[in-house]
Amino acid sequence: MDEHRPRVLAAATPYLLVLPAAAYLAVFVVYPMAQAIRLGAADPHTGGWTLEHVRRMASDLYFWPAVRYTLWITALAVPLQVVLALSMALLVNTRFPGHTVFLYVCAIPLAVSDLAAGLIWLSLFTERGYLNAALVQWGVLRSPFNFLSHEHPAWLVGAIVTTEVWRATAIVMVVLVAGLQLLPRDYAETAAVFGASWWQTLRHVLLPLLRPSLQTALIIRTVLAFQLFATVVTLSGRLVPVLAGETYFWYTLYRNPHVASAYATLVLLLSALFVWGYLRTLRPEGEGT
Amino acid sequence: MRHAVVALAVLAVAALGLPAWPGPAGEVVFTSNQLTPVEEQEWARNTLLAGFTRETGIPVRFITEPEGPYVDRLMAEARAGRGSIDVTGTLHGIFPVLVAQGVVRDMLDIQRQLEGRRDRTFYRDLLAVARMEGIQAFVPWMQATYLVAARREALRYFPQGRDPMRMTYDDLLQWGQNIREATGERRLGFPVGPRGLYGRFLHGYAYPSFTGSQVKRFKSPEAVAMWQYLRRLWGVTHPSSFRYEFMHEPLLLGEVWVAWDHTARLLPALRQRPEEFVVLPSPAGPRGRSFLSVVVGLSLTRWAPNAEAGVRLVEYLTRPSTQVLTLQGVGFFPVSPEAARVVPTGGLKVMADGVAAQAGAPDARTALLPVGLGARTGEFVPIYVDTFRLIAIEGRRIEDVLASQARRLEELYRATNAPCPPPDPAERPCRPD
Repeated sequence: MDEHRPRVLAAATPYLLVLPAAAYLAVFVVYPMAQAIRLGAADPHTGGWTLEHVRRMASDLYFWPAVRYTLWITALAVPLQVVLALSMALLVNTRFPGHTVFLYVCAIPLAVSDLAAGLIWLSLFTERGYLNAALVQWGVLRSPFNFLSHEHPAWLVGAIVTTEVWRATAIVMVVLVAGLQLLPRDYAETAAVFGASWWQTLRHVLLPLLRPSLQTALIIRTVLAFQLFATVVTLSGRLVPVLAGETYFWYTLYRNPHVASAYATLVLLLSALFVWGYLRTLRPEGEGT
Repeated sequence: MRHAVVALAVLAVAALGLPAWPGPAGEVVFTSNQLTPVEEQEWARNTLLAGFTRETGIPVRFITEPEGPYVDRLMAEARAGRGSIDVTGTLHGIFPVLVAQGVVRDMLDIQRQLEGRRDRTFYRDLLAVARMEGIQAFVPWMQATYLVAARREALRYFPQGRDPMRMTYDDLLQWGQNIREATGERRLGFPVGPRGLYGRFLHGYAYPSFTGSQVKRFKSPEAVAMWQYLRRLWGVTHPSSFRYEFMHEPLLLGEVWVAWDHTARLLPALRQRPEEFVVLPSPAGPRGRSFLSVVVGLSLTRWAPNAEAGVRLVEYLTRPSTQVLTLQGVGFFPVSPEAARVVPTGGLKVMADGVAAQAGAPDARTALLPVGLGARTGEFVPIYVDTFRLIAIEGRRIEDVLASQARRLEELYRATNAPCPPPDPAERPCRPD
């Protein structure tokens, strides 16, 4: 019998195994992405390349506010989510009685769609919402306060960040809990033998070992933050514009798929830039320089 | 091997895009960007169209979706030259796009056929707006307008000695101020949210009422005075107005006492508590009481695979008794005087009285949605909403904002060579003075 055959097959197996995933990605991710980039840079009449759509996007009234607010919301929400999720993950990792229940309760918002999350928090924050009703009932306020007012954009951003933290901290926590559970206990025990305090153990032992999980969590959260849309529109209309929202409005309100695609491409570039940054700065020690 | 070939063939077909399978024999496919809210869809399927199926035995597949995908679907079928859509129903303002792309057929013979039945005629002005590029682009189906709904208790703050049914813009501002002085709260409300219809208030109500024009006098001295007024009005408007999209919600919550919106977006409040609300005509300005008439029309596609059943559906939908059913179901008003003579009751009666008071006011002036902007129709309203944002919310200098926004408006009209919408004279391309 031909003895090369099994070896060839063995060599080809990994490729055969990734083939379905690769085909899926090619059809549903790479192809639409290429099409979006093309739509954002093609002249609808001649079919040639043009910067016209990008120019229109950049000169739009909402463009710079959208860039600014997207970065602001990301910069506020992501670190908050990571710190909160890390504290919760460490707490779960102590395996206190009832920690599984705690884990499941914290993960509930994961099952809520972002639009529903926006509506839940809207019903809290409006003039006739639950928060105002409670504050008036308890005598903290004499009459309802307008948390969502065009006069206080900072309050609006605060409401959006709160909603985001509530909605998406759990995903970071799940990733970090998984990462923590993979770490052998020996490291922490060795550190304790050398007299390291709890804080020193966390800072010099656990966090460096958690880097791969932190990297994953940060990448997921940041990329999703750039796609943030439904919660923002629900809470702030277009007063706090964001990039993903502008993509939607250019497509549905102005019926201009070209400028919408230019926005989508910008979101793609920003996401890629941040992912690249995380991959570089959070590289596990000992890999490359 | 043979299995692999079959599998590849199936994959190839899937990759090339699924063909638009025609519906089961005899089915009518009816698309619309109207009646999209879930309750309205349910009503359309279970009441309106179920009646047609009961009568004729013809099932109807009703597809309603937002404007973007709605137009895309028609365009895709038009490009392919064939498809499954028989009948489509949409706003008068979208038909120019459909006519330009060869989506709809001339409906003149069908309209004559319908009027030949002697149970219905159509309002002449509605038929006039359906004429586009030499064809009758649609048969009128239903119509709506925008006006003011207010809580009864708010009426006691209405300026003394003035008549709410003859409200002016000054009355409206004074009303808001009176409420604010008495209660400390801002209780006027406008749908300024992203999918709200405040843009219609700006170009179809305020502009013509203050300047006698929608486009031509965009940056005139009267327009500057109007924007000064709107800035003051914004000062007594509920500070959450920037996210309102359907005014019945804040009206029912009590956040807003006086709201301007589309009839269909006010009606749920009137239906729930007809005794608590009144409906008033939109205000009058120095140049009259301008209001927009929203016309929804029906048309057959050029490729309709089941045209005969499509014509029967159009006949059913425009029948006077169906028009009354539509008014009762979703609050769109009749397009035939024969149907309008049937008096509705409850919240509808309150609304119908308001509509009649607005249309029948001695200083009433009808403005129409702009047509002829083709694929760029969607850019018209945002120019007005952006102007509002810059002037009223961000507080920029009115003259500067109007000058730069007028350039956008001029570019839009020059590029599309579109005529001015009424009450402006129909010159082409329209150009702000």
